[in-house]
Amino acid sequence: MKIIVDRQRCDGNGVCMGIAPEVFDVDDDLYLHVAENIPNDPELRARVRQSVTSCPILALKLVED
Amino acid sequence: MTARQRIVVAGGSLAGHSAVSELTGLMPDAEIVWITGEHHERVYSKPALSKEFMQARNEVADILLPDVETGQGTLTILRGARCASLDAAGRRLTLTDGETVAFDQLLIATGADPRMPPMVEGMGGVFPLRTLDDATAIRAAIAHKPKVLVLGGGLIGCELAASMRTLGLEVTIVERLETLLDRPFAGALNAYFLDMHRRNGVELVMGATVERLEARDGQVAGAVLSDGTTIEAGLVLVGAGSAPATQWLEGSGLQVADGVLCDAFLASSHAGIYAAGDVARWFNPVFDMPMRVEHWTNASAQGRAAARNLAALASGRPEMAKEFGDVPYFWSDQYGHKIQMVGWHHGHDRVELEQPEEAPGPLARFYREGRLVAAAGVNVPRVVMRLRRQIEEEARMRSPALAHAS
Repeated sequence: MKIIVDRQRCDGNGVCMGIAPEVFDVDDDLYLHVAENIPNDPELRARVRQSVTSCPILALKLVED
Repeated sequence: MTARQRIVVAGGSLAGHSAVSELTGLMPDAEIVWITGEHHERVYSKPALSKEFMQARNEVADILLPDVETGQGTLTILRGARCASLDAAGRRLTLTDGETVAFDQLLIATGADPRMPPMVEGMGGVFPLRTLDDATAIRAAIAHKPKVLVLGGGLIGCELAASMRTLGLEVTIVERLETLLDRPFAGALNAYFLDMHRRNGVELVMGATVERLEARDGQVAGAVLSDGTTIEAGLVLVGAGSAPATQWLEGSGLQVADGVLCDAFLASSHAGIYAAGDVARWFNPVFDMPMRVEHWTNASAQGRAAARNLAALASGRPEMAKEFGDVPYFWSDQYGHKIQMVGWHHGHDRVELEQPEEAPGPLARFYREGRLVAAAGVNVPRVVMRLRRQIEEEARMRSPALAHAS
């Protein structure tokens, strides 16, 4: 599983970070950092998928393994 | 299950979209009917309307949500359809065109409607902002570079004012109170907000009310304040708040009081009828109190949670239902500043305001009976999000049975 961030769109509102803080982190310059390796934990991966669909500006894309 | 069940979702915005997406996966054998007042084919992101879309940094195609996956199920979408009434005991609702829709289970996600003061009726150049059509109309109106008057210094009013200034228009905000963003931030960051809008060239008229609007050939030309002051304006944007869309539920038998009253499972007063999003006033176990939240993340998570609980009941496994506990979160973007609020400040008895010297913005913590209940900050997303988790974890420690917020 891999996350692609559209940097033109992402404005650091942190909705993803609220749902899956293990994977998403917005720093104080509003830059979104995404974990490179997402552990194969079904509960976490469900939340990551939810983060992607919950992005209000549709800046996240998910590539499944 | 013998007869095929019919599940109706009423409401075509985010909560309805989330609910339908979840239900099509959970209830492949059911007939799902989605009633949406929108005539647009796809659901769109409302937070973008006052910001990215208004500033023409995004177009319609950029703010559309993914289509719901229908999978194996049967999904019927009734577009441009509005609910007129509900018979909760009789399990049917009626649309404004007279059509009756019977259901086994119902999920109400009809949202909220903008409050429009009576004086604006029938006048051109006056707009609320709730829908894509509203936003498109405002974008067309600003092409002529009118002077803009914003009625109300709440969230929508301040965001629109910021967008209009960013586009180089002259903007005046008239606000009844002495505080901007009073309800969302309880006035805690008011000095910062006042200064931010003034620095960016917004004319702020605080503690004032508009007596009437003046029109020329049916188009708004200005406003007269209650002290007699006149303000010239070719475009008036109404940010007077919103009210839950529950008129259609009058006489339904459902308990309604500033929203559809729901328990912690998002179940209404009638078995099999649930509510989610701006229209739902539910008992939030994280804060041990009922609340109604009008924000993106809540509508998204609550739509899914209500759908799962509805599906648990519909498939004969009511014990699978989970309480919905949530720490509300919303953000606002104004002049490149990220303004964030987590938690529920209503009923707080203490505020701690911090203005760290090196930090890019102020931070406020709200407490109730010694317990952290909310936090607000500007340009400090890491701190705010950490406090959101803290509020949730402290609630979980008090009540281990609390279901996960998602």
